[in-house]
Amino acid sequence: MSSSSGPESQLNAAGLEQIEEIDQTAPRLRALGTATGPRERGGGWVTALWALPGTLWLVFYLVLPLVFIVLVSFWTYKLGAKSGFTTNWTLENYGTIVHSSTYWHNMLTSVYTSLIAVAACLILGFPIAYFLALKVHTLRNQIALFVIALAPFWTSFLVRSVAWTYPLSDVLGWFGVTTPSTTSVRLAMIQLYILFMITPLFFTLSQVDRTAMEAARDLGGNWWQMFREVIVPQILPGVVIGSIFIFVLTMGEYGTVLVVGQNYVQSVGTIVNSYITSAVQYPQGAAAAVLLVLALIAGVFAITRFSNLREDL
Amino acid sequence: MSAPAFEAPARPQDRVIKRPAKRRDWSKWGLGTYFVVFLAFLYGPMIVMAILSLQGYYGAITFPFRGSFGFNWWRSLLHSTVAGSPTHASDIHTAAKNSLFLSIAAGAIVAFIAFTLSMAFRRRWRFRTDAVAFYVIMLALMTPGFLLAVGTQLFWNYLGLSTSIWKTALGANVVWGIPFGFLVMLSVWNRYDPRVEEAARDLGADQTRTFREVTLPLVWTGLFGCFLFGFTLTWNDYDRSVLFQTKASDSLPLEIGGMTFTGGVRPDLYALGTATTIFSLLVIGVLLVVASLRLRFRGAPVRHVEEELGVATAIDAGAAGSAAPPSADE
Repeated sequence: MSSSSGPESQLNAAGLEQIEEIDQTAPRLRALGTATGPRERGGGWVTALWALPGTLWLVFYLVLPLVFIVLVSFWTYKLGAKSGFTTNWTLENYGTIVHSSTYWHNMLTSVYTSLIAVAACLILGFPIAYFLALKVHTLRNQIALFVIALAPFWTSFLVRSVAWTYPLSDVLGWFGVTTPSTTSVRLAMIQLYILFMITPLFFTLSQVDRTAMEAARDLGGNWWQMFREVIVPQILPGVVIGSIFIFVLTMGEYGTVLVVGQNYVQSVGTIVNSYITSAVQYPQGAAAAVLLVLALIAGVFAITRFSNLREDL
Repeated sequence: MSAPAFEAPARPQDRVIKRPAKRRDWSKWGLGTYFVVFLAFLYGPMIVMAILSLQGYYGAITFPFRGSFGFNWWRSLLHSTVAGSPTHASDIHTAAKNSLFLSIAAGAIVAFIAFTLSMAFRRRWRFRTDAVAFYVIMLALMTPGFLLAVGTQLFWNYLGLSTSIWKTALGANVVWGIPFGFLVMLSVWNRYDPRVEEAARDLGADQTRTFREVTLPLVWTGLFGCFLFGFTLTWNDYDRSVLFQTKASDSLPLEIGGMTFTGGVRPDLYALGTATTIFSLLVIGVLLVVASLRLRFRGAPVRHVEEELGVATAIDAGAAGSAAPPSADE
């Protein structure tokens, strides 16, 4: 203990600055892990060949569909057309959506639901992450408890949603919550997605500098001061990432709202779906989806303001 | 070394202060209790559902339990008639078979793509493609599943192609699995010692032989992790496949969804839900066994949790993916 604190105490401000400079060299490279191994012969062609299958798949099944949402949102609905639209450019779809009070109502409800979910996951999830990262001391126990807390991630979200409908309706009734209702949807969402908050909190908390925490206590700070001055600044990236996850996942939620809400509760997802499947109004559905994407981007942007995340995240 | 530490200190400030014996850490117990309550919140609904699936034939579908115990609803998953009334058994069997094949295919494709992509990344991207890779992979992770399904539907409509579970839902599910698989592979490569490849090369093996006999055997557990990610994500997916549904028995989650919406919910829905959940948990069990075996064979000390939890790290791809940029600014 005392032998290791020797060199650390010699770190001065200049040394810290130097470390920060090194860190800033290639943040994205570090973000994706470091590329190991020597640069191999064969050059770019071999590399490109390795990257080919993944690139093709991602372009065809991810990038092009997203591009087409944007394109179709500017195209014209046509009843007889085989695809459901023709390639005549128009802004009419956006006009319809923007003037639809139902859409705005559901958009606001969805935003509100997402904000509640983010706040609840943060407040309920932090003690769990804190317990796992700082109060469980042996690595084996830490891994075991973490896996137990994480295992539901691999089970069906739909099945877990079903559990919030009929089975629990009487139990929720004891607490004054009717099913289906917005509240039950929100409860289900918190239960489904809280793992996405606990995991980044856990990883950032287990990297918090323990010596700084001890130093804060030794210098007379109480737990709250230590929390505010030492822990919060160091786990802020984890908080931001968890919040982004929860916000995006709950805003874009479809299945849970459908199962738990059972047509009594609407979200942007169900609205988009009603344009696409019931009305077969593809361009209007696409416009609604584009507005959802814009709301997601705005939300992510707003969340990153809470930390000094890089602007280009 | 004549044990000077035990002699009386020459100066008063060198006196060794004995702190009182460590007190019990009450905050640990409090947080532990909260952890247990949290687990109840996490697992409770599923357990309630499992209990209700054991209702007798005339049992209710809401907690608390009424009536007698019985395995009627579990039996109805297997037999086409139970106590004279028809069940969804044949649909469920088709759906389970479809889901199984679909998930195996998705797992295999995710493992293949994650491996090849990570190999490309490992060879160091030329130009600025590492940034592009970062954004596309974050995009795959962040795009809401339903939105991706909508986009795919529109794109395929434009091309004049017909959509189906195998043609489009498989694609969308693989997209969802790729970021997880990619991060699993990165955590594998991060701990991989490239010198063994150089040694193989020095001993006269050519590139393909090195790859086949050195590289692959060392990383296959990572590939296995990728496969399981692709498998479980697809096995449980609803949002990404519901738009491409042609019949209820297309996949198991679609079948479950159908049973929820058609009204007249019966406890066989709970039995089916519990069965798929148990299957998913079994798959995780296999993953954990393989991971612990790998740990035992490797025999290297583990310093950080995140090191050993390569697979779990990937769940929160963001923490690995973008935790780094903010810390650079601080």
